[in-house]
Amino acid sequence: MSHALAGAAVVGIGRSPFVRSSGRTTLSMAAQAAREALADCGLTAADVDGFTCYSTGDSAGPSQVAHAIGVDDLGWSLSVLGGGNIVTSTVAGAAAAVLSGQAEVVVVYRVLGSQTRYGRALERVEVDGEGQFAGPHGYLVPPQWFAMYCRRHQYEYGSTAADLGAIAVQERDHAVRNPHAVARSPITLDDYLNSRWISEPFRLFDCCYEIDGAVAIVVTSAERAADLPHRPVHLLGAADSNRFGGSVDQWDDLSCMYSRDTAPRLWSRTGLRPADIDVACMYDCFTFTVMATFEDFGFCAKGEVGDYFRAGRATYGGDVVVNPHGGLLSEGYIHGLNHHYEAVLQLRGDAGDRQVSGAETALVTSGAGPFGGALVYGTAAL
Amino acid sequence: MAADPLSLPPQPVPDAVTAPFWAALAEGRLAMCRCGQCGLWLQPPLERCRRCAGPTRFVDVAGTGTVYSFIVQHRATVPGYLDDLPYVVALVELDEQAGLRLPARIVGVDPAAVHCGLRVRAEFADLPGGEFTVAVFRPVDSR
Ligand SMILES: [Zn+2]
Repeated sequence: MSHALAGAAVVGIGRSPFVRSSGRTTLSMAAQAAREALADCGLTAADVDGFTCYSTGDSAGPSQVAHAIGVDDLGWSLSVLGGGNIVTSTVAGAAAAVLSGQAEVVVVYRVLGSQTRYGRALERVEVDGEGQFAGPHGYLVPPQWFAMYCRRHQYEYGSTAADLGAIAVQERDHAVRNPHAVARSPITLDDYLNSRWISEPFRLFDCCYEIDGAVAIVVTSAERAADLPHRPVHLLGAADSNRFGGSVDQWDDLSCMYSRDTAPRLWSRTGLRPADIDVACMYDCFTFTVMATFEDFGFCAKGEVGDYFRAGRATYGGDVVVNPHGGLLSEGYIHGLNHHYEAVLQLRGDAGDRQVSGAETALVTSGAGPFGGALVYGTAAL
Repeated sequence: MAADPLSLPPQPVPDAVTAPFWAALAEGRLAMCRCGQCGLWLQPPLERCRRCAGPTRFVDVAGTGTVYSFIVQHRATVPGYLDDLPYVVALVELDEQAGLRLPARIVGVDPAAVHCGLRVRAEFADLPGGEFTVAVFRPVDSR
């Protein structure tokens, strides 16, 4: 099996500190992450001819960041409007730019400053678009949308608060071994159950930890990667799915997500299946996002995620290590690009205390609800 | 107008396609967008049908439906209704078409008594702010 993207590889990774409130501009943090990613792979600004990012209109753009780190003439610059749903398309798009000869070395970044906090919208006085139907009812932000999904899953499959708690506790346990994570104190199931309600059935510990920070990764051809310092991490395949125009409310079955459609596409394109995956960086804006997508990707049957986590199958020594860095729930929310950083670190064998032994493949998912995507990285090209 | 900016829920900004939805509510009618050619109900509304490209119009619905899913909002994350915490918001599946849903507050019931499958009926309420009417839903057997 060979996928069209398999000639591309991630060769460099970089990031800024992750903090609650940085006092820095998005340009400063993105430039830091990009410089670090290039230094990581022994390249300089003179080697870079492509830059791309995704954002919700809240960050410095690719040409600004490229200029800030000393790139004089950017041959390929693409700013993508979107959030978690668009991460896979952005990374796969960078790989496609490399493979089609539009660019040789592309930096992909995402940066979040203190002005961006998706979990609350207390400053909103008006809503247009589809939000005009929901906002007037006090229903406008992602924790509310995905709590709605979670409730439906509980109704149809009998999943419980303890099942969600098993995910939150496991991810926090992983973050304890990650010095870069913002939340590193272990929590128990009781801590989870005693955390305050946000949008019931979601409690505080169901929600990701919104922070300031930037992540950048460097994508180039597998041929060029062979001459660079680190073990290259190959892109084995990617897939996206977008239905219902991105309407979270009209998506047909709230007990599952975009991954219902993405998963068969991804497995078919790569020739892989869940049992082949060593590390799963599951997009976890909320605990329930992990639950729904984990089922959709076929790691277990509907309603069995809680048992799967409680049995130790989602951690070291189990079937697959889910979010060894602690995920967006505990490492912090860099809109899913930190999942790519972690996947690369793990496949290089450079994850230190939290290294998944013998990791050769990593699934990285992104998005929630009606749209999103996923890709697989590997230590060897397919 | 309001001293406390948190006191009002977000106000809708109708556009050329959605304006009839709000105009109907102001007259005490719940009307949804429907294709005049093939009959498909469309939410959010479209100028032309996504299935057959026929022209659409707003047609009154019965105002009855089923709670598909719901949340109990405990924390002030969106302005408005802060004195009503915790409040219930549901996705109400309207009887006119499978999967045709409206987000709406559920009133007249203890949050603990709301469940998926609950039958509800629309009623009309002034949106705090004074300019719009919204459809909220109440369990059909509660009065
Ligand atoms: Zn039609």
